[in-house]
Amino acid sequence: MAASAPISASVSGDESLVAGLMRRPPAVGAAIVLALVIAAALAAQWVAPYAPSKLSIASRLQGPSLVHLFGTDEFGRDVLSRTIWAGRVSLAVGGSVVVVSCLIGVTLGLLAGYFRRLDGPLSRLIDAMMAFPDILLAIALVAALGPNVVNVVLALGIVYAPRAARVVRASTLVIRELAYVEAARALGVPTYKILLRHVLRNLASPITVQATFIFANAILAEAGLSFLGVGVSPDVPTWGTMIAMGRQFMDQAGWIMWFPGIAIVASVMSLQVMGDALRDLLDPRLARTT
Amino acid sequence: MARVILRRLVEMVAVMALVVTIVFVIVRVAPGDPAAMMLGPDATPQDITDLRARLGLDSSLLVQYGRYVAGLLQGDLGQSIFLARPVGQALWERAEPTFFLTLFSIFVACGIALPVGILSAYWRGSVFDQVTTTTAVFVASIPSFWLGLVLMQVFAVKLGWFDPSGYGGPGASLAERLHHLVLPAVALGIVSSALIARFTRASMLDVLGDDYVRTARAKGMGEARVVLKHAMKNALIPILTVIGLTAALLISGAIVTETVYGLPGVGSLVVSAVLRRDYPVIQGTLLIVAGLYVLINFVIDMLYLVVDPRVRY
Amino acid sequence: MNGTVRILLSSAIAIVGLTDAAFAAPAKGGVIDVATIGEPPTLDPVSSTADLVGIISQHVFETLYTFDKAWAPTPLLAATLPEISADGTVYRIPLRAGVKFHDGSTMSSKDVVASLKRWMKIGSRGKQVAANVVSVEADGDMAVKITLKTAYAPLTAFLAFNNSAAIIVPEANNEDTLTKIVGTGPYMLKERKPDQYIQLVRFDDYASRAGDPDGYGGARKQWLDEIRFVPVPDANTRVEGAVAGQFAYVDSLPIESFDRVKAGKAKPVLLKPFGWPMFVMNTKQGLFSDITLRKAVQAALAPEDMMTAAFGSKDFFSVEGAMYPKDYVWSTNAGTEPYKPQGATEAAAALVRQAGYDGSKPIRILTSRQYEFHYKMALVAQEYLKAAGFKVQLDVVEWATLVQRRADPALWDIYITHSPFLPEPALIGFMSDAAPGWWTSPAKTAAIAALNTATDPKKRIAAWAEVQKVIYAEAPAYKVGNFNALAAKAPQLEGVAPAPWPYFWNAWLEK
Repeated sequence: MAASAPISASVSGDESLVAGLMRRPPAVGAAIVLALVIAAALAAQWVAPYAPSKLSIASRLQGPSLVHLFGTDEFGRDVLSRTIWAGRVSLAVGGSVVVVSCLIGVTLGLLAGYFRRLDGPLSRLIDAMMAFPDILLAIALVAALGPNVVNVVLALGIVYAPRAARVVRASTLVIRELAYVEAARALGVPTYKILLRHVLRNLASPITVQATFIFANAILAEAGLSFLGVGVSPDVPTWGTMIAMGRQFMDQAGWIMWFPGIAIVASVMSLQVMGDALRDLLDPRLARTT
Repeated sequence: MARVILRRLVEMVAVMALVVTIVFVIVRVAPGDPAAMMLGPDATPQDITDLRARLGLDSSLLVQYGRYVAGLLQGDLGQSIFLARPVGQALWERAEPTFFLTLFSIFVACGIALPVGILSAYWRGSVFDQVTTTTAVFVASIPSFWLGLVLMQVFAVKLGWFDPSGYGGPGASLAERLHHLVLPAVALGIVSSALIARFTRASMLDVLGDDYVRTARAKGMGEARVVLKHAMKNALIPILTVIGLTAALLISGAIVTETVYGLPGVGSLVVSAVLRRDYPVIQGTLLIVAGLYVLINFVIDMLYLVVDPRVRY
Repeated sequence: MNGTVRILLSSAIAIVGLTDAAFAAPAKGGVIDVATIGEPPTLDPVSSTADLVGIISQHVFETLYTFDKAWAPTPLLAATLPEISADGTVYRIPLRAGVKFHDGSTMSSKDVVASLKRWMKIGSRGKQVAANVVSVEADGDMAVKITLKTAYAPLTAFLAFNNSAAIIVPEANNEDTLTKIVGTGPYMLKERKPDQYIQLVRFDDYASRAGDPDGYGGARKQWLDEIRFVPVPDANTRVEGAVAGQFAYVDSLPIESFDRVKAGKAKPVLLKPFGWPMFVMNTKQGLFSDITLRKAVQAALAPEDMMTAAFGSKDFFSVEGAMYPKDYVWSTNAGTEPYKPQGATEAAAALVRQAGYDGSKPIRILTSRQYEFHYKMALVAQEYLKAAGFKVQLDVVEWATLVQRRADPALWDIYITHSPFLPEPALIGFMSDAAPGWWTSPAKTAAIAALNTATDPKKRIAAWAEVQKVIYAEAPAYKVGNFNALAAKAPQLEGVAPAPWPYFWNAWLEK
């Protein structure tokens, strides 16, 4: 959901992006999978056959059947419904992380890239934040802030902000030397107007690409934190908490763990494929690096 | 050259200073009184006030920060609350499994990624290239704990080739300990191989198009030699970079993998520290790991200077 | 449990314990790894009531008394059962001669007096006893005398218990925080590596009682050279370790893994019935200082669903309100009418309204995933409490954090724990006014006084029935049901009796 909005904005009436994506079968496939997952999550209350926390102890640990397509868990809850509702939380966490990290990252990156004096200190700050491995920093931040959904979003947002910041800074350095930006500066256009009108608009492509990858990473990171028991509280259904809870029944009732796992892999892989395709199309210069 | 090195050195020190500050801020943001936490539920308010004074928690944040930095400069990482020992010692006791795990994972990752990356670059656009590129994206999409669990289920529980968890008992020989690391290293290595394979492929593509490769080919040199000797040599620097950075980042993977396999390493230490609210340990681990990353980065930059004369700052 | 399953189970479970002695002669030697549920916060069993601390430390430290196979107190470091004065207020405890500590010194009444005083000062069960103690003094070198204010029948059982235990340590080591792990037990501490292992080795100068082993009492044989307790906090990892045959003994497995364990390389060990999970309510502060809301919780909870979610098959639990199951002398149904297997949502909702609960403050349920069944019961309870009109907040923390937090009445409304069926009802946690939950009431004080001062066993049983009535009338805690416990042992490990706190003296490895 967060991924689709900036794409249309960045193309600004240009049809070639859609056409370009259509020429790439993997990207088309990824887009369809992603659209399905997002649609299911948004329409959870209509799509999910049961309420996600409806307990039915009598029908616990039932295998996939026509009544319960994905089977039931140890509380007799419908795994399909839970996977759908969990997707809502997992995707919302991923999407919010994208928003938070981009807000922080774009601000830092713009300032560092545009104002030469700020570049040194801000770049060092970005370097310092990049020095912490993502899960480790996220664990420490969640431990400091307290384990709940909002703080997990905040922590992961901070963790991924430097990635956005680096890309934005690099692009800003190029953009600020462009002829019409220099012209605007020479004409005395206020700096904030230059930043908003000229620079930010040109940043749409690299940010979109980066946002897609952050989205994918955030979904994986949330699952990892939940698995370790230091993320979202286990009674909030996310794909990560479902797997963590289902682990005990891996042998008896693998479906509890399989379906949320498949949902993670499908979503993350689709996002990565989309990200690669977008990068090739929007920003050929970056295509060969990370 | 000396000026460049000096500048990088200054930058590194600046980054380290920021790392130290960030860690200080994170730990101080944590709610709750560390003194009350250390003394436990039966402490009287007087006990807590005394300990706060002893720990210097009653002074201003700036003074505390100064003391903290001074302690660090003397190599003092603080005292673990739960383990009742200095954090440095606790980390050192846990270093071995993490070190070997990281090392083995790199071997596994490179063993998979280098051949795959080189060949898919060489056969760019072929079925092999497409399959491996897609597989790499797939592998990068699998949660690492999931892969760890599956491997444990198959190779430890079903086939019984390995112990499912732990690092051997007291007096376990090095061989026994390393045997416990095989599955976790494979799990971690597979996940990290995706990134290295992508990088290898990209760097090789860069180089394969270069003039001297074409020249070598024109001189009638064998394909294998062209690829391995000439192209690989030049693609090696970026590849080594990503391997080095992956090594530093593997601690992230190690956190999850060590927890899955019950390895007494730095990663599982930090997870239990979080669950036990043992803040000094969290702080110490963050510092050491981030410090290592900054150092590795610096060393890589220096290597660039030495190896590739084209690099100038 | 139905007949076929019983046969299945009994054939699957190794018949362990003394019967094996007839088939194989125990051999000296060998090292065992025992997987435990985690790293103990301390090795001092006085300062902790955690079962884990008791399980490990009982190999190192010993008490004056312990329990025999029939759960009756029997002497351990004491020479005989206490000589009690006619009015029940003076206990003279003769000590065994020639008992050595691990540091080589010999135990005397000085050590015992100092240790008992330490226990009464810092041990939660000791403090409970201390209120009724006039003095503890030496009676010569080889006996101690305890003088009580009033008769106190449970005293010997208190001295025998292995958590918050009245252990005997050398007088010189007598500090509030024990720094030297020196006891009289058959095994002594060699090395402790936090999160890795606690290594115990045979104590060669151990003074065993004569005769045969009898439960925790009688002779303690030291066949094994070494016992290592390995913390494996993750229950699934313990199951996998058991299936793969990684450990000689694996404690506390999720009962639903019975079939997996049975199919693996270890033999399942079932203890039936093991204990009872409980929801302890905070009667001191917050919502549940109001007895009407406690009664609402009592009515709202549906133990049948909770136990099923937590333990799976009915073969592994039973739904019973009585505080002791059928086979115990203490078993009675007195007062258990409020215990409703399906819950009574309507009645609960009425009580919630009657108490004027407005939903502004949620019930904070403090629980941990160290014991997965606690967490599962919490989830089911949450649904039933919501149905009764409560707002519910689950605070899921690490067990160590839970133990720390439950001591602060401001932090929780309900916490979940469990207890084995204890040999003496006075040992049950909330019987003490100081236990987290802080239940006090005139009815409680009167009922417990009757239980504690009665010396005739028959009268004590009747007095216990009255206590149980008060428990149900005032709902300081909610007993959910009875459950069985599962552990696993390697086929070569013999001589381990199924016990709530497994012990490994008397155990040996088949060659």
